[in-house]
Amino acid sequence: MLEEMLKSYPDSDGRFDELFEAPGKPRAHWMRFYRALTATSAADIRARLAGAERQIRDSGVTYNVYADPQGLDRPWDLDVLPLIISPEEWRELEAGIAQRALLFDRILADLYGNQSLLQQGLIPPSLIFGQSGFLQPAHGMNLPGGVHLHTYAADLARSPDGHWWVMGDRSQAPSGAGYALENRLIVSRTFPALYRDLRVQHVAHFFAAMRDSLMHFAPKGDGPALTVLLTPGPYNETYFEHAFLARYLGFPLVEGGDLTVKGGRVWLKTIGGLKRVHAILRRQDDSYCDPLELRRESALGVAGLTDCARRGSVLIANALGSGVIESGALLGFLPRLCEHLLGEPLRLPSIATWWCGEPAALADALEQAERVVFKSADPAFKFDPVFGEDLNEIGHAAIKATLKTRPERVIAQEFVHVSQAPVLARKRTYRIGARGIGLRVFAIRSHSGYVVMPGGLTRVASGANERFVSAQRGGGSKDTWVISSGSVDASFTLLRSTVSAGDLVHSGAGIPSRVAENLFWFGRYEERCEDSARLLRLALNEVLRESDDDEDSLEPVLALARAFSLIQEDEDAEAALLAAATLENNVFGLPANLRNLEHVAFNLRDRMSMDNWRTINALTKDPVFGREVPLPDALSWLDRSVTGLMTLSGFAMDGMTRDDGWRFLSIGRRLERMAFQCLALQMAFEHGRACGLSWLLRLADSTITYRSRYMARPEWLPVLDLLVLDGANPRSVRFQANGVYSYLRKLEDAYGDCGSELLRSGVEALDALDPARDLQPESDRLRDTVDMLRSTAFALSEVLSQRFFTHAQTDVWAPLAA
Amino acid sequence: MGGRARYCVTHETHYAYSGKVTSAHQLAHLKPRSTHWQKVEQHTIDIDPNPSERTNGVDYFGNQVLRFVIDTPHEILNVVARSVVEVDAHAPDPGADSPAWELALASPGVWGPDVDLDVEQYRVASPMVPLLAQSAAYASGSFLPGRPWLAAMLDLTRRIHADFLYDPKATTLTTQVREVLGHKRGVCQDFAHLMLSCLRSLGLPARYVSGYVLNYVPEGKERLSGADASHAWVAAHCPQLGWVAFDPTNGKLADLEFVTLGWGREFSDISPLSGVVLGGATQKLSVVVKVQPLEADEPPPGEAVA
Repeated sequence: MLEEMLKSYPDSDGRFDELFEAPGKPRAHWMRFYRALTATSAADIRARLAGAERQIRDSGVTYNVYADPQGLDRPWDLDVLPLIISPEEWRELEAGIAQRALLFDRILADLYGNQSLLQQGLIPPSLIFGQSGFLQPAHGMNLPGGVHLHTYAADLARSPDGHWWVMGDRSQAPSGAGYALENRLIVSRTFPALYRDLRVQHVAHFFAAMRDSLMHFAPKGDGPALTVLLTPGPYNETYFEHAFLARYLGFPLVEGGDLTVKGGRVWLKTIGGLKRVHAILRRQDDSYCDPLELRRESALGVAGLTDCARRGSVLIANALGSGVIESGALLGFLPRLCEHLLGEPLRLPSIATWWCGEPAALADALEQAERVVFKSADPAFKFDPVFGEDLNEIGHAAIKATLKTRPERVIAQEFVHVSQAPVLARKRTYRIGARGIGLRVFAIRSHSGYVVMPGGLTRVASGANERFVSAQRGGGSKDTWVISSGSVDASFTLLRSTVSAGDLVHSGAGIPSRVAENLFWFGRYEERCEDSARLLRLALNEVLRESDDDEDSLEPVLALARAFSLIQEDEDAEAALLAAATLENNVFGLPANLRNLEHVAFNLRDRMSMDNWRTINALTKDPVFGREVPLPDALSWLDRSVTGLMTLSGFAMDGMTRDDGWRFLSIGRRLERMAFQCLALQMAFEHGRACGLSWLLRLADSTITYRSRYMARPEWLPVLDLLVLDGANPRSVRFQANGVYSYLRKLEDAYGDCGSELLRSGVEALDALDPARDLQPESDRLRDTVDMLRSTAFALSEVLSQRFFTHAQTDVWAPLAA
Repeated sequence: MGGRARYCVTHETHYAYSGKVTSAHQLAHLKPRSTHWQKVEQHTIDIDPNPSERTNGVDYFGNQVLRFVIDTPHEILNVVARSVVEVDAHAPDPGADSPAWELALASPGVWGPDVDLDVEQYRVASPMVPLLAQSAAYASGSFLPGRPWLAAMLDLTRRIHADFLYDPKATTLTTQVREVLGHKRGVCQDFAHLMLSCLRSLGLPARYVSGYVLNYVPEGKERLSGADASHAWVAAHCPQLGWVAFDPTNGKLADLEFVTLGWGREFSDISPLSGVVLGGATQKLSVVVKVQPLEADEPPPGEAVA
C-alpha cells in the first residue's frame, strides 16, 4: 500500500530529506513509523484523516489571517504525519535552545540595565538605539526574579548537510506553543498505538512548568496568586491560541480594558470588584501595553502598567522591552556575546547573517548577494524579503535605495534550502508528498533554569517551491515527535488533573466585568432580534391581510412597529417593514440588531461554543441579509431568523453552566422580553376592544397554548391571563419578572444590592391583580402595572450597568498638553 | 556672552472636560533639570483636584518626572508648576573656533570601549524624527565639506528661521517632519523636529530640548517667538564643544534667555504633561506660561519678603 502512495514522493533535489537517507531507505528513527504506515490500508488512513479533520473542526482551531479573503477563522492546517526527531539529535537541540534563552535573558538584563555590552563595544549602539523594539521606559525595572525572558521560541531549519540552524528568535510574546499542544492532542489520537510504541516525549510538563514558574516568580500579596493571559482581542491572528491556552492553563483571558492600575499595582475588574493581578502572560506586543508611557495611541493597553513593572509589583512575561532581541541584526554578534556572558561557545549556530548597518558587513553581503535574502532588521519597518538571486530583475530598486539610505534597518541572511518532510497530499487519492519544513521550539524559564518543550511546532511550506515557511503566508503545521530512549514520564496526562478538591471553582465571581457586560447584551440583543423578527413577520402578514381571521389587527400591529422604532410614522408601511426586515441602514431594524448580536458574540468567543457563532454566522451571511427583496423572500427570511434565534436561546438554556455569567445573559434576555411584552400590551390597551386579539397571541407565540386551553376565539380575560399572569408561560410578563427577580436575588447573595428591590413592587403588583376585575383592557390597575414593569426593565438595566459594567469602560487617551 | 540670569517661571495647564473624568493617570515633565549651568532654587507643582497618588522619579534620559493619579471624578484639571531658576551663560561665542563638522560623525563601522552612549542614542531615528533624504538635502546646504561645525550649525539654525514661517495654525502635536518640509511653516516643536531630522540624517547627534524662553521684551528688541507658551529647541553635540543648544524658531544660540526643563529624542519623550483619562468625552486645553526675570537677590513674586 505505502509503496503505491510513495510513488510520487519527490526527489530531495539537494535538500535534506527528513524521512529517507537514500531513496526508499528510511532513516533509523523513522523505521517503525514507516513500517506501521506500510501496513495500513488506504481505508484506514482515510478514516484516521477524517477523524483528525473532525477534531479540528469541532474544537474550532483557527488561525486568523488579516489578508486572507476567508478572513477570520481560517481552519488550522494540520498535516497528520508527525516530524520525528531522534533522542540523540534532540539532546543537542534542547541544550542549544536552553543556552540561547539564557543568553538572551542576560543580554536583555544588560541592555535594560548598565548597558556594558554597548559601552564595551560588543554590540553597536545604533543597532540597539535605532530599534523600535528598544523601549526606553522599560530601562531600570525591578523585575520579579530578575527574569526578562520567561518564554522564548527559536525558529530552526535544517540545511542540506543535516545541520540545524536558528533562523530567528521570538522573545516578544512567542506564539505557537498552544497550537503545538492542539496538534499533539489531535495527532496522538490519530495514531494512538504508534504514539505509545515510539515512546514519544510528552509536552504537558512544559505547560505545567509554565503555570508553576509564573507563579513561582510572581510577587505575592492581596489574596491568592492570580495570573492572567493578556490578549489584544479576537481580531488577533492567534486569538484562538490565546483562548485555548487560557483555558488550558486556567488563566483568565483578559484585554487591556479589563485591567486597571491603582496604588502601583495591577487589578482585574471583575463583577465581584477588583482582584490583584500578580502575573501577566502577555500575548500583546509590549509597545501597546501602556498608553501612558509606551505607544500613546494604543487603545489596547493598561495606563500605568510600565510603572507597576518598574516597581516590581507585577510579573510581565515577557518583560516589557524584550522584543528588541527579535531583530535579526544581533545574530552575527551572538558567538562573541555568548563567550563573554556565559563563558562558553554558542551551541546552536544562527544562520549566517549580516547587519547592513556595518559597512564591512554590507559590502560582504553584497558580494555574495545571490546567496542571501534581504530582510527587515526592525519589526516596525516592514518590507517583503528580497532574494538576492532575484536582484538583477527589475523592481528591486526599493531595497537598493534602502540599503543606500537606511542600511541599519536591513539584514542579509544566507538563503537555506530547508529540509523536506513527508506530508499526506489529498488530491484524488492519498499520496505522500514532501514539503519544506521549519521547526519552532519553545522554552520557559523555571526556577531551575530554562525548560524546553520536547518537540514543538513544525511548520510546513504552503507549496513545493515556496521559499518561506510561515503560517501568515498560508503554510500548514505538523506535530513534532521526539522519541525517548528511556521510558516516557507519563505521570502527567495532557488533560489537567492537577486540580484538587479545594481548587474547585463553582462561582463566577472572577468573571471580568467586560465579559459580564457582553453576556448581558448578548441576551438583550438576541431577544431584541427575535422580537423584531416576530413583529415584522406578523406586520407583513397583516399588511397582506393574510391573517386567518377577520379581525382588524393592522392598526395595533403597526403602532407597535412604530413604537419599537422599526418604522416611522409617515412611511409607507409595507416598504418600511420590508426595509426593516432585510436592510442594514435602519439602525433599529433586524439586520442592524443581528450585527450588534454578532459583535457581542465575537467578543465572547472564548466563553461560548462555536455552535453559537455558527448559528449567528448563518443569519448574517444569509443571501437576503442586507438586500432589497420581494415580500415572499422577506417572509421566509424572517422564518429562518426566528428559527436561528430560538436555536441560540436553546444553546443558552441547555448548554451553559448556571453560573453568574449565565445569569447576566438570562437577565438581559428577560428584561428585554419583559419590556417588549409590556409595550405590546400597551398597544393592545390603547386600541381597546375594537381590535382583535389573535395578533397578540401570535406575537407571543402563544396561539397553540391558547387554543389547546380554550378552543375558542381569543377573549380578553383568558388572553391577558396567559400573557400577563401565567407564570408557566415563558412569554408572560410574570415569567420574566419572576425570573429576573430570582436571578437578581442570587447575584445579591454574592455582590450585595443589585436592584431586586426595584422589581419587588412590580412583582407584588402582579400578585395583587384580581383576574375577574383587572384582566380587561380598561383596568387602570392593569395598565399601571404594565407601565411600571416596562419602566422597571429599563431602570434595572441602568442599575446593572452602574453596578457592574461602568468600570469595564476603556481608557480614553487624552492628547498631550503643549 | 557671559553673565547670569534668574527667573521665576509659572506654567499653568488647564483642562476642561465636557464630561466627568472618573480617573486619570498623568505624567509631568515640569521640573527644570539641574545642570552645571542651571540651578533650580525652588520648585512646586500644585494639582487640583488633589491626586490620590503622586510619585517623583527620573526618566531614562535623566529628566525629573512626576507621575500622579486622580481617582476623584472631575471636570476640570489644573496643574500649576512654579520654579525659580538661575541660569549661567553657557553658549559658545558664535564666532568661536570649532573643528570641521565631519569630525562629529560616528566613525563608520567602528565602535569601541570609549563610546559615549549618551551621545550615540541621539544619533538615530525616533518615531517623530525620521531620517529622510529631503532633510539631508536641506541640511547639506549648510554642511559644506570641511566647514567648521559651529558655523554650519548656526547657518542651519538661521536658514530654518528664515525659510519657515512661524504659524501656530499650520500644524498639530503630531505633524510629521515631511509635512513641515512641504508647507514651510509650523511652530517650535515642528522646527525642532525638522532640525533634528536634518542633523541625524547627516549622522550628527542631536536632541530635543523642552523649556521656556524669556517673554520679557527689552526695549527696541523684537519679541521672541514661542514666548508665553512652553518652548522647544535643539541641542547638538560636537567632540570639542560638547552639547550646544540652538533655537531654530528664533534663529540663534540658546543661552541666558532660555530655561531648560529637560531633553529627549523628541517631543513625546519629554512632553510637559500627558495622560490617559477615563471618561471626559472631549476636552479643552489652555496653557499659560510666564517667565519673569528676577534680580540676583530679588525674592520671587508673591513671596513674603523676609
